[in-house]
Amino acid sequence: MTIVSPETPTASPDAPTGTGSPATRVLGGLALAAVALAALYGLVWSPADVEMQDSVRLMYVHVPAAVFTYVGCVITTVASIMWLRKRTAGWDVLAGAGAELALVLVILTLATGSLWGRPTWGTYWTWDARLTSTALLAVLLTGYLALRRLDLDPDARSPRVAILGLLLVPNAILVSRSVEWWRSLHQRATVTTLDPQIDGDLLVALMCGFLAMALVFVWLLVHRFRVGWLEHQAGRLDLDQALADRRAEGRAAVAGTAPDTGTGPGTGTGPGEDTGPGEDTGPGEDTGPAASPPASSGTGAAPAPAAPAATEVTA
Amino acid sequence: MTALTIAMTHAGYVAAGWGGAVVLIGGYAVALLRRGRRLSRQVPPGERRWS
Amino acid sequence: MWRDAVLVARRDLRIELRSRVAISQVGPFAVLVLMLFAFALDPDRGVLDRATAGLYWVAVLFSGLLALGRSAAIDEADGVREGLRMSGLEPGGVFLGKAAAVAAQLLALEVLLGAGVVVLYDAEPAGPLLLVATCLAATAAVAGAGTLYGALVAGLRVRETMLPLLLLPALAPVLIGATRAFEAALDGVPADGWPWCGLLAAFAVLYSVAGALAYGALLEGQ
Repeated sequence: MTIVSPETPTASPDAPTGTGSPATRVLGGLALAAVALAALYGLVWSPADVEMQDSVRLMYVHVPAAVFTYVGCVITTVASIMWLRKRTAGWDVLAGAGAELALVLVILTLATGSLWGRPTWGTYWTWDARLTSTALLAVLLTGYLALRRLDLDPDARSPRVAILGLLLVPNAILVSRSVEWWRSLHQRATVTTLDPQIDGDLLVALMCGFLAMALVFVWLLVHRFRVGWLEHQAGRLDLDQALADRRAEGRAAVAGTAPDTGTGPGTGTGPGEDTGPGEDTGPGEDTGPAASPPASSGTGAAPAPAAPAATEVTA
Repeated sequence: MTALTIAMTHAGYVAAGWGGAVVLIGGYAVALLRRGRRLSRQVPPGERRWS
Repeated sequence: MWRDAVLVARRDLRIELRSRVAISQVGPFAVLVLMLFAFALDPDRGVLDRATAGLYWVAVLFSGLLALGRSAAIDEADGVREGLRMSGLEPGGVFLGKAAAVAAQLLALEVLLGAGVVVLYDAEPAGPLLLVATCLAATAAVAGAGTLYGALVAGLRVRETMLPLLLLPALAPVLIGATRAFEAALDGVPADGWPWCGLLAAFAVLYSVAGALAYGALLEGQ
């Protein structure tokens, strides 16, 4: 990680210091309120189910989590398609955000489903259609995110990631259809999850759960997108920085200055140019690591004090 | 006949589920916010938000 | 496009024939997998019998991964990618050609494994039409999806670990379908198996089309 400008950016007073904004704070407050409401309704005010008893209360988390997992996946696929068409970074960032949220939620789905299964079926895991395809979806998402994490040139990474993202929803559908078909051959029709015919207070509790999850999801998505955008910007700046460093080295070498091969740009080519020609051609480029052009100073000696401050270790 | 005690079956599982949800989502949210702050410091103010 | 496909297929197969890796390494590995299953599952307990179809296809998938990795590696050598891009060959054709070459190797593997299963697991082949059709459809599916995913990870240092992670979940429907079809055939109720064969064929078509369309973007993105 490179610190680009030597002083902490204090530029404009309304420059955001994080990913929050007035809008997200309002949204966050609403989300928290909705979560509280859902908890009250789900845990306290609504009655237990006739068949499932109190374990139904897990459904108020499990079902919304499952639904929004799919929402996240759809976001990833759509954003990947849009990236392939428009090739703007924002779509790529959005695709990544959707997938990461989907992964968090799919883990939650599996965990709550498993916890529901224990008192209901007596076991934490069963190879029923829903659980199995959800588990596979988790692996699909993990693979997608693993590809994103690879340390690659954006030019090399983005098309691959986009194609994989595009395939996410089709894969998920194919997998869930075949698993359902497969398991339907062997399983008697049991109530594997919530009976769609619930009504009354149970339905209200479920709706509260959905509302809470929706608000939380949107809040998380906005923040995750902003974080992703910051990562993208930071990466871009790193790249520019590295290019500037290399250019500076190149010029210094060409100018005949002692080629201080810069692994640590802190050592810089600054102090190194005692030989004649370096004085003239060197200076501006010797302070190369301070990427912003205004920082270049006149002679070789002058940058020396500035150089250690201006140049930081690149990660 | 007012039931003053709230007896819940499978209370442990329900608690684990809801508690786990709060921990997972909340933890993720906190991690996001901190990541956001850390990254914000590395990027010049004008370029921090998507436009 | 079809001519380009034939060209690429012949190139890939020629490379494979010359190096003989498929024959001398992947084939033995496939048989080895069958033997490992026997060690793990104790032939005396009858598990191997009942699980034959599934074990067969798992062995196909694992050895198929090796073949697909090699197919992707062919184009990783210096300059081959640029050469392909600038050669004027249609990317869709390149994709189909590579997929066809891998499919040929997979079919050979499946025949070998079929013999292995008959010998080692005492399997009795039945419903030959269904068996053959399933093999063809599943092979097309694995080759198509595998070539596409191979291109997704080609050139990466982590190709060998990423390919299984990305490809195998996507191939889960193929494993499910092929196994069910084989079970139906071996159990003597082929009627149950044909729908699964249909699923495999649909999968193969979908991935072949997707691969042909996407290959251009992947060749460009280095």
